Amino acid sequence: MNVKKLFSHNETYLALVLIVFSLAITAVNPVFLTLDNFADLAKNSAGTAILAIGVFIVLLSGGTDVSCTAVAICAEYIAARFLIASGVNNIFAAFAIAVAVGISLGAVNAVFVSVFKIPVLIATLGTATLFHGALLEFVGTKSLNVGDLPQCFKDFGNLNVISWTLPNGTPYGLSVFFFILLGLLILTWYILKFTMIGRGIYALGGNPEAAKRTGFNLHKIQFFIYCYAGFLAGIMGIIHISLINYGNPMYLVGTELTVIAAVVLGGTRITGGTGTLTGTMLGVAMIMILQKNLVLIGLSSYWQDFFVGLIIVIGVTITNVQNKVAAWKKAG
Amino acid sequence: METTKHKSLPGLLSAGLSGQAKNVTLFILMALILALFSILRPDRFPTVRNFRSMLAQFPEFGLLTVAMMLSMIVGGIDLSVVAVANLCGVLAAIILAAGKTAGILPGGTLVALAVLAVLAAAALSGTVNGVLISLAGVPPILATLGTQGLLMGLAIIFTKGHGITGFPEEVDVIGNGFIAGVPVPFLLFAVMTAAVAFMLKKTRHGFTMYMLGANPVVSRYSGVNNAVVIIRTYMITGILAGLSSLIMISRTNSMRPGYGTDYLLQAILVAVLGGTDPKGGAASMTGLVMGIMILQFTQSGLNIMAFSAFTKKLIWGLALLLIMVVNFLIAKYNERRRIRLMRAASENITGE
Repeated sequence: MNVKKLFSHNETYLALVLIVFSLAITAVNPVFLTLDNFADLAKNSAGTAILAIGVFIVLLSGGTDVSCTAVAICAEYIAARFLIASGVNNIFAAFAIAVAVGISLGAVNAVFVSVFKIPVLIATLGTATLFHGALLEFVGTKSLNVGDLPQCFKDFGNLNVISWTLPNGTPYGLSVFFFILLGLLILTWYILKFTMIGRGIYALGGNPEAAKRTGFNLHKIQFFIYCYAGFLAGIMGIIHISLINYGNPMYLVGTELTVIAAVVLGGTRITGGTGTLTGTMLGVAMIMILQKNLVLIGLSSYWQDFFVGLIIVIGVTITNVQNKVAAWKKAG
Repeated sequence: METTKHKSLPGLLSAGLSGQAKNVTLFILMALILALFSILRPDRFPTVRNFRSMLAQFPEFGLLTVAMMLSMIVGGIDLSVVAVANLCGVLAAIILAAGKTAGILPGGTLVALAVLAVLAAAALSGTVNGVLISLAGVPPILATLGTQGLLMGLAIIFTKGHGITGFPEEVDVIGNGFIAGVPVPFLLFAVMTAAVAFMLKKTRHGFTMYMLGANPVVSRYSGVNNAVVIIRTYMITGILAGLSSLIMISRTNSMRPGYGTDYLLQAILVAVLGGTDPKGGAASMTGLVMGIMILQFTQSGLNIMAFSAFTKKLIWGLALLLIMVVNFLIAKYNERRRIRLMRAASENITGE
């Protein structure tokens, strides 16, 4: 790939910003640029990144999904409560339940979007409120402490695929979370690139009417999109509870706008049809590095919201002004 | 509901989902809810005391909802309303608390200063949104998502996340005062609603807002400066959010950044419930006010019946989805009826 083509990609700029940003943090605090910090970052970001894949796919199809975190917390909490109640101590059972919950709730989203043609933002706003309300009302509000949780969550949270030891003797490793994320990325990439349904998602986001006339079954595609997003949210739920070793049905909900921000920062058009997984992951990295490392450069965590907001405003302004200028040049 | 049979062709074309039909549905829904709670708790719901407290409760939220509706009319959405209210509230709180500690200026002057600061900050925040959307071409949902973080972040930075208390007592009248037995927040809401309704119905700006929301290209080729209309609209939504913050700090006699974050989704919900088309170009102030009332009646009613906050959440989610589904079904029915009538009309013409 030649240099000129490389610089026509949004991802290149994002990667450059990310590198400059990382160098700046390193200059202030060398702790940032260590293998251990990156291993931590990968472990802590995997959940958000998986959720972002789901938001990305929905965004590709032209909708904004604000229910992802509500679905994830429902899946997480129901799975954990079920395991505790039944005495089963198996992480695969937890995944199976969480994924089943996620896909079912995703299907509910799909019904409202596809059958009743409700704008995605409004529909998912409604379902998110409904799902979370129902979870708190019917399943419970009790928080689950480390002692309550089955051992499998803790083991899964501590499972490292590659491990090493620091000079001072602290064991470190690259968590299994990172590899799950990698697997899901490859799966999603394959679906989007090589399957009819994946191409259909791009077509639907680009122009629904054209996609329909080309012969795509829009209902089928939309059901797939929302069930897949639910599936991802289910997996994220289990990763989340294993990471923090604490289950609280009030967690996660309220962070959906940050996930959407990460995806949009990655260059996915909010109107649908355009966007890449690479960009999405760079966007997630940007937001996560910012959130986790403000403290490393000596700024208190109060600055977090401000900086995330600032990055979004600057990021989307640059992209859109570029688009506007390009359109203007084209028009002569 | 509309029962008149449209005979002429233009009449047929306009017989889509009319705003009037929606308002009738809303009115029936509102009356039903009112009746339901009055029957269930006749001792506590339909009382003067409950109605007075409801009149004082909804305006801070109601103003945010009006702001949301305005942004939706021009085809946008304003996710930053609560953040604007928070930043403005924090600014006012800092002025009031610091002023009281310094003790140089009298309380009334301090309140006036705080109000001015709030209006300026609110108008500025709204203008930033408008400029990002119109001049930079950023989609409204993204622009306001960004400014939401930015402004809420500023509010947190200014206060270091703590609450601010200790205001001069003159500020109390905005949120807790009564004029002729009517709560002041309600009067503020009524005045602002009337002003916005007047603007939408009787001014050039209001007309261009609807036109822009329905079709930006048409509005541009009709000689409307779209950018100016958008900036002005978001400036007004900002000011409404700022006014809401004044009620907030006065009612709670404190300001904590993060106050009222639940209002954001509720504002979108009520705006849509009140008949605002999130795609732009259609909204009715009457419908919106009924939507706000429905929310407030349900909130109070469920509170009196001792339902948990979670049940309320569940009911709200369900209500939003149901309203959207019903709207969809009505639209579909009207569309079918229109086609049927048109076909009948054309058969009449050819038959003669």
